[in-house]
Amino acid sequence: MILNVEAVTKGYTGRRKNKMIANDNISLHIDEGEIYGLLGQNGAGKTTLVNQILGLITPDSGDIQLLGKSVLQSPARARSICSVQPQSQVPLGFLTPKQAVTLIGKMRAGKKFDAKRLDTLFEALDMGEWANKEGEKLSGGARRLTAFCMAVIAPGKLVILDEPTNDVDPVRRRYLWQVIRNLTNDGTSVILVTHNVLEAEKAVDRVAIINKGRILTQGTPSEVKSSVSNQMRIELSLASELDIEIPSWALSSHKNGSRLFFAIDPQEVTATIEWAKRQVDLGLIIDYSLSPATIEDAYIELTSKKAVGL
Amino acid sequence: MNVLSHYKYVFQMQFLRNAGFLVFMILIQILISIGIVIGFTYLLPAPDTNSILFLATGAPTIILIFTGLVILPQQVGTAKSDGYMEFMRTWPVNRGVILGADTTIWLIITLPGIIISSIVAHLMFSPGYDISWTVIPALLMIALTSIGVGYGFSYLLSPTASLALSQVIVFGALMFSPVNFPLERLPEWLQALHQVLPIYSMAEVMRASLAASTFEATAGNYINLLIWCVLGYGGAIFILNRK
Repeated sequence: MILNVEAVTKGYTGRRKNKMIANDNISLHIDEGEIYGLLGQNGAGKTTLVNQILGLITPDSGDIQLLGKSVLQSPARARSICSVQPQSQVPLGFLTPKQAVTLIGKMRAGKKFDAKRLDTLFEALDMGEWANKEGEKLSGGARRLTAFCMAVIAPGKLVILDEPTNDVDPVRRRYLWQVIRNLTNDGTSVILVTHNVLEAEKAVDRVAIINKGRILTQGTPSEVKSSVSNQMRIELSLASELDIEIPSWALSSHKNGSRLFFAIDPQEVTATIEWAKRQVDLGLIIDYSLSPATIEDAYIELTSKKAVGL
Repeated sequence: MNVLSHYKYVFQMQFLRNAGFLVFMILIQILISIGIVIGFTYLLPAPDTNSILFLATGAPTIILIFTGLVILPQQVGTAKSDGYMEFMRTWPVNRGVILGADTTIWLIITLPGIIISSIVAHLMFSPGYDISWTVIPALLMIALTSIGVGYGFSYLLSPTASLALSQVIVFGALMFSPVNFPLERLPEWLQALHQVLPIYSMAEVMRASLAASTFEATAGNYINLLIWCVLGYGGAIFILNRK
């Protein structure tokens, strides 16, 4: 076991002495070579948890062990075991991606730094054209990829990636996932912090859904889905942004601009299709599609309090 | 891995990251220090050699104050707000190493301004420089105090508050501190304040090593600097390691 988080609770005292609980009794563990996804909305407590694993902040209660030793007792050791890509952009200033990645590599690995690995990484991510450009002049995606390379050039036993695919184009996203997967072949474990649920579903071995500082569920993507897997989901394109009446058998719903999603019981498929056809005839919706539940449905079901038909 | 090689890589990282900015700052420092020596003589209707010596031996101190207490806090404020500070905290190195590497960089950018302004002042006015060997430890001590205090308050305060404080310092150091003129000209309460603040001690120590035959620094000046230096760096390291 690489990482063991035991009943960690962390609160902040906000303005007017309000106590905000960022992490509430969180327990999880990560094995060697595993990609572990931390899913949650903004402010769910993901980054707070990561900062505690790195020893940057101390939990109010609970314990965190990296390779069997407590982080609380040796935070400096935690920083050499873990390498991190932070959520915010790393301001590179006048550093070129090649310089930045090389220097972090040397800082982490010393004489064992392997310059060939840098070339391999840049090639795998198709970053050649940016390698020697000043960071200030690079696009957001190029800087994000540079920060990613800084985290994985000389990876520790645990690599923590906080929203690594933000700003990155779809083609390089695929390369990125491949590089992450290759990391685990050498026994490195990865924590992937994200709110991009659909992407994470394909990439992770296990996943935890965090909401308001608590882990709602954790397990393999199919285990997590199984909590809603007897459901189907229907996606509608609305003709206008006006609300339409949702059928009474919908189990949960959410709206995204002119797209409306809701979950239904498989027994209701026929009725739902008939209902949708009527809506098309009335001109209220443009089209619809029906599919099995995804991890996103599980995520939304678990994190949203709104239940339809109650 | 040892501290020395960490220091080397952190230094390279910080130096290259700021390369363009640092070159620009060096040029500004040269202009300011020459400006103090020449510009302030216009303020005095009939400057005598003694006043010019005050200006010429005050300019290096102003440069060091300006770097440590004005430019540095602004840079730290930026690093805090753009997330670079948080990123540095994740590096697998001792935080003291980061502080040490940054200090070296700040020290380097002050040197050209100090050297060039002193040469210019000497060629233009021959104010009576008498440089003692103590100039190197004195310069180091003043620079470390200024940089240390700059780190201390900019780590402690919010970016906005430290920006405001640095503006007060630049104005106070130029106009209301006994750097470019003797302490006796100030009202008594300001004199008393300057016995506690480090600016007066910086100026005295600098003067005593640049014009050793004219000025003397007291042991009290050195002790004052030492205390502020330790307070500044101690505070900065404490805050860097705070969780």
